[in-house]
Amino acid sequence: MFNIPKEKAVPLGCITPAPVGEQPMMITGNWREFRPVLEAEKCDLCMNCVVFCPDACFALDDAGEMVVLNEKYCKGCNICINECAPGALTAAYELDFDDGVVRLDKPF
Amino acid sequence: MASKVHQITVWARGVVQDKEGRDIANGLAAAAAKEGKFTQAFDNYVDLPDRINVPLRKYARISDEEIEERYEYENAQPEVVIVADATIVKGIDILRGMEKGGTLVVATDRKPDEILKFIPNRELLAQIVCVDAKTICGEQKIDFSGSEGGVDSLGIGQGISAPILGALARGTGLVKLENLDVVVKNKDALHQGHEQAVVQTLH
Repeated sequence: MFNIPKEKAVPLGCITPAPVGEQPMMITGNWREFRPVLEAEKCDLCMNCVVFCPDACFALDDAGEMVVLNEKYCKGCNICINECAPGALTAAYELDFDDGVVRLDKPF
Repeated sequence: MASKVHQITVWARGVVQDKEGRDIANGLAAAAAKEGKFTQAFDNYVDLPDRINVPLRKYARISDEEIEERYEYENAQPEVVIVADATIVKGIDILRGMEKGGTLVVATDRKPDEILKFIPNRELLAQIVCVDAKTICGEQKIDFSGSEGGVDSLGIGQGISAPILGALARGTGLVKLENLDVVVKNKDALHQGHEQAVVQTLH
């Protein structure tokens, strides 16, 4: 069915390692108008934001005690705010923050 | 030697501001054409595919003589940059290619200084114009009229493009308000934008 060279073929059901790095060719942080802001006291680590983020921007920090946002790739879809069970995430206007600047030469 | 071609670049958000961004470029070109100028206005071919909230560009060119470059779909040296959504200044080098002495028009409720602090190459600017387009127009519905080659049944300047064009007429001499008045549909917002625009001269 497919003409795959023998040296590149893998067995059916083969597991390949997931990418662990960032994608430098598709930085989506400059799509964002409103960013999710986490209230640490309300967060119960339900991990909804980690699961639902389409760009995998939420991850546990090194200590495993708090979720942190990757502002370089968060495109401000705010799905995490909808899905946050304890309501710890709120939307905040991007110009209120000095950080989170992703200044690209071209849109993407 | 042809006379100087004024290049105007509009930055807007993909899909949600597609029509407004296009209306700014088209309205500006149509109004300048009423003064007998030669104009071009076109959508962008570089940033496609446009997706929701992607920063995208629309272009306009105005000249006293016939514009020779017909096949360049990008403004390499914009003289005026219009930003329809202020958060774009954090994500893109909007002044790329601008020569010293340009103008920046931003649709924002913030003061000019709050916008300028996000622009590292702000010394290129001679002036900045801020207009609170969203407050002037109120709640906006997203409209796809005229997008992707469809028929534009609404006409130019129903939404935030009207006050932005008014602010542009206030800040630059590229186009006259009375010519915009003929082109733009939402004349009330056009005049409010012209009156309420905050013009700050730099250096």
